[in-house]
Amino acid sequence: MNLKLDIAPSRLVLAVMLLCAGLLQPMVPSASAASRAIIGTQIEPPVLDPTANPAAAISEVLYDNVYEGLVQFAADGGVLPKLALAWEVSQDGLTYDFHLKGEVRFHDGTLFDAAAAKFSLDRIIAQGSLNPQRLRFRAVRAVLALDPLTLRVLLKQRSGGMLQSLAFGSAVMVSPRSAAGNALHPIGTGPFRFLRCRRGDSITLERNPDFQGVPAMLEQVTFKFITDPTAAFAALMAGDVDAYANYPSPESFAQFAADSRFSVFTGTTEMETVLGLNERNGPLRNVLVRRAISYALDRRAIIDGAMFGYGTPIGSHFPPHNLAYIDLTGVYPHDVTKAKQLLAAAGFPDGFGLSLKLPPFSYARRGGEIVAAQLAEVGIRVRIENLEWAQWLDQVYTQHDFDMSIVGHAEPLDYDIYARDDYYFGYADPDFKALIAALDDSVEPDKRIELLHQIQRKLAADAVNGFLFQYPRLDIWNVHLQGIEFNNVLGVVNVSRAHFEGAARAGGALSGRSAEFGAPASRWNSFRVTGLGVLAGSLVLLGLVARRFGSAYVAQRMAVLVATLVVATAIVFTMVQIVPGDPARYMLGLQADAGTVAALRQQLGLDAAPLHRYISWIQGLLHADFGLSYTYRVPVEALVAERLQVSVPLAVYSLLLSAAIAFPLGLIGAAWRGRAGDVIVGGITQLGLAVPNFWLGMLLVLLFAIQLHWVSAGGFPGWDAGFWPALKALTLPAIALAAPQAAILARVLRGALIDTLHEDYIRTARAKGAGARRLLWRHALPNALVPVLTIVGMQFSFLLAGGVIIENVFFLPGLGRLVFQAIVQRDLIVVQSVVVILVAAVVTVSFLVDLGYALINPQLHRARGA
Amino acid sequence: MSPWSRNMNLRAGALLTLFFLITALLAYFWTPYDPRALSIIEKLQPPNPHHWFGTDQLGRDVLSLIMVGAQTSVGVASLSVIIGMCVGVPLGLLAAARRGAIDELLMRGNDVIFAFPALLMAILITAALGPGAVNAIVAIGIFNIPVFARVTRAGALPLWTRDYALAARVAGKGPMRISSEHILPNLLGVLAVQGTIQFSLGVIAEAGLAYVGLSAQPPTPSWGRMLNEAQTLTALAPSLAFFPGCAVLLFVLGLNLLGEGLRRGAERPT
Repeated sequence: MNLKLDIAPSRLVLAVMLLCAGLLQPMVPSASAASRAIIGTQIEPPVLDPTANPAAAISEVLYDNVYEGLVQFAADGGVLPKLALAWEVSQDGLTYDFHLKGEVRFHDGTLFDAAAAKFSLDRIIAQGSLNPQRLRFRAVRAVLALDPLTLRVLLKQRSGGMLQSLAFGSAVMVSPRSAAGNALHPIGTGPFRFLRCRRGDSITLERNPDFQGVPAMLEQVTFKFITDPTAAFAALMAGDVDAYANYPSPESFAQFAADSRFSVFTGTTEMETVLGLNERNGPLRNVLVRRAISYALDRRAIIDGAMFGYGTPIGSHFPPHNLAYIDLTGVYPHDVTKAKQLLAAAGFPDGFGLSLKLPPFSYARRGGEIVAAQLAEVGIRVRIENLEWAQWLDQVYTQHDFDMSIVGHAEPLDYDIYARDDYYFGYADPDFKALIAALDDSVEPDKRIELLHQIQRKLAADAVNGFLFQYPRLDIWNVHLQGIEFNNVLGVVNVSRAHFEGAARAGGALSGRSAEFGAPASRWNSFRVTGLGVLAGSLVLLGLVARRFGSAYVAQRMAVLVATLVVATAIVFTMVQIVPGDPARYMLGLQADAGTVAALRQQLGLDAAPLHRYISWIQGLLHADFGLSYTYRVPVEALVAERLQVSVPLAVYSLLLSAAIAFPLGLIGAAWRGRAGDVIVGGITQLGLAVPNFWLGMLLVLLFAIQLHWVSAGGFPGWDAGFWPALKALTLPAIALAAPQAAILARVLRGALIDTLHEDYIRTARAKGAGARRLLWRHALPNALVPVLTIVGMQFSFLLAGGVIIENVFFLPGLGRLVFQAIVQRDLIVVQSVVVILVAAVVTVSFLVDLGYALINPQLHRARGA
Repeated sequence: MSPWSRNMNLRAGALLTLFFLITALLAYFWTPYDPRALSIIEKLQPPNPHHWFGTDQLGRDVLSLIMVGAQTSVGVASLSVIIGMCVGVPLGLLAAARRGAIDELLMRGNDVIFAFPALLMAILITAALGPGAVNAIVAIGIFNIPVFARVTRAGALPLWTRDYALAARVAGKGPMRISSEHILPNLLGVLAVQGTIQFSLGVIAEAGLAYVGLSAQPPTPSWGRMLNEAQTLTALAPSLAFFPGCAVLLFVLGLNLLGEGLRRGAERPT
């Protein structure tokens, strides 16, 4: 009876929470399974506008599918027509005339014409533009619409790479009517139009029925973001996704290549992975030392060790698939003796020490350890330092505080970085600059290729960096899904010709229906409704307490509560200020110049004084305005509301599981105190306390997802995919979270039961002849529930945010991971607001629980206080 | 629990703890292989007679890595307990000795720290100070402070009403002197128990921070980071995820049993 009493309110809580989180939305029939595909990729685009953010993930998903440019990249780095069917370049190379495709409409119905194209290009070169490729267009003098289908671009000086620049994702054509909203709702001219985005999980596109050209074959395509390589592996094996583009885990790629259910593609990307050398000072200024390092590197061993054999060795900064590529890997073969000789000739017969600062990518971390070992062989002592990406951008990229680093340069045609004065490796050789200038000034293909050869040779001869390997492009797809085009230049996954052949698709877990971006208002409301509910309940409780203990008591408690919150905001704000790394630099990436970064800082309000920012933040908080996320460009409260849909049910689920395990254990322990049953319970709970929950999570994934294929290894399909699929996705994480909690709870329950069994009234009942069973259930358990419920309350607050590591293991878009990612991405406003929300929740809950206790049992309250 | 099993707890806990402490010490002088020596051709070997726990993705001996990893675990956890004690115990003594406004202020300050999501704050602290063992110690240590302050205060309060404390006060000794001469010595048992518990929580917390890449940096081996690196390889080499996890489990188990044994010993009526 008492057990029931405990569980029933929890169920009620669950139901109310699900209701509040706005999960019970009307179901709408979805597209038939055979015309829908789910494609996994690793990185979620932070926003959906490639003209405002350099993240390659935006183009990966949306370029060619939703957005189109005037021209597009060919696989060998050349350009092909797209929205511009043809073009002419004047003799002097200063005038480009583009002839546009007619009768093309944007997804918002606007006609695409020369005026729209002019609008798109003018946005890039405008004053204060945040376009990540703005520098590529610095030669543009003016853009003119000669007639509806003819666009003229006038240049100040010749710019040999102009056509390539127009093929970048940041130069896509946007509709004058809706361009400002592209970050959240992308509007382009492509064969697919945007349907919805579930942040932290997926983006879904649907066929554009008005597409001018051959229509897409699939009705719907969902791009699902699975960051964790283990989860990606399991999702493919389980058929949760039909394909995975840019597969992140070379170690398990061979397994798919050997599996007849899958087709694989291995190619090269535009990413040159280099051992970056800081040429500004120290021994690395000396070309002999740099050559010695190049001789010391064994590229094959690095590719085998860091990339499990996938990757193409390179001898310069240039991709092997480009038609101007020349193989220079023979310039510095692996030769330890030669390296030592060169070091001796440079004046370092006994070697020297260098730092190696690594960004958080597995190729860099693994490669770094191998490089360190290889350099040790020639006498160079390497100190490895692992940095997160924001720190890397700050220390290595911006402040040049490093000796060596390993990083991939993903940008296409980025050899010009070697001509930049302030670039992180600090090469900027005058002869090399002259080569780049000559290339910019030449339009003739043959001359350009000859110059590109010279560029490659020059970089190799000067051993500017240790050129390691071209990063591999690994794609895996179900054999039945055909026609996906993986463009290696921009990493684009073009799905316009994708279709299923033969058997229907394997998966189907994802059948999202609600329009997330379409209806942010409803989430908002649910968030507010929940807040209002809590507020109303609290007021009632306060009223009751005030009636009983007087309003002075309540006022005093409230003052303490408010003071605590004020102190908490100050602590969080101060801590966030100390975190190094610039949010604007993080968002703009490696290519942006200082001017663009400064413009973005101003736009984000980061240039104001800290005190000013603190005050305006607090003012916002008082109006329930938690700020606008730097990364996602949406209100923080909307992000929190979304994440609570995962975190609250997960916390409730694991609490229920934990209670379900803990109650029998606790009862057994108390009933058989000191006997075998108790000893066994003691052993089990000791194990439960000692097991790290993330390790338990890994073991569960290994067993149930990878070995047995019962569940997917991670990810969350969303509640609108149905209650059971969502619950299933939460089951393993809930178990992993519940195990230690159950152990704690069982021990508390056992202890509380044993304590109450010693109380006088129990002895009285026993003297009156009550049986042992009746004593335990009727008399001891209800009283023992008080400390147990206190623990449950504490555990709930802990679980809400404490699941951060488990959410990382299982790739769940929960609250903990939101903060974790926000810390990594330096989305500081999200960090400080969410932490304050969590602190407020904990403080308020314990405040209310205290008052509740006081109300129910004043004596107990006093006893607890002592 | 019977005296027998209480004794067993203490003994098993002490043995396990001692085992890991000795392993950590031994690793300074000897490991089966050089834990930093890479051998790509020998990578991802399953456990075998040469490599009892197998080799990792870079061909290093996993047993050697775990032995050296114990140093990181012991070092971070013990130093964070010491930080917590060095700051928390004096604060708790002060609160108990002075009562009144200071007491209220300190305890409310404790509440504020307790209200922060500890793990997220530790992640934020390591993000602010940079990843590394020292900063992991600071991050974990800060959250140990209120624990020790509370335990000390709760233990000290009743002692102030004892005869010897009253006698000392009558003899004209100041509150701080009474705290250090009469109160603190009587709290050592409680603090040892709490220290053991916080030590074991510290081992788990360090593993968690290392798992998200924020504790000791390579090539310094660390159990949590080994688990992180093993995660993408679970399908190929499950043993890589198994052994470091077992190490954490057994060490924490040992510390918990030891703590429990000590607590029962301390509670035993004298």
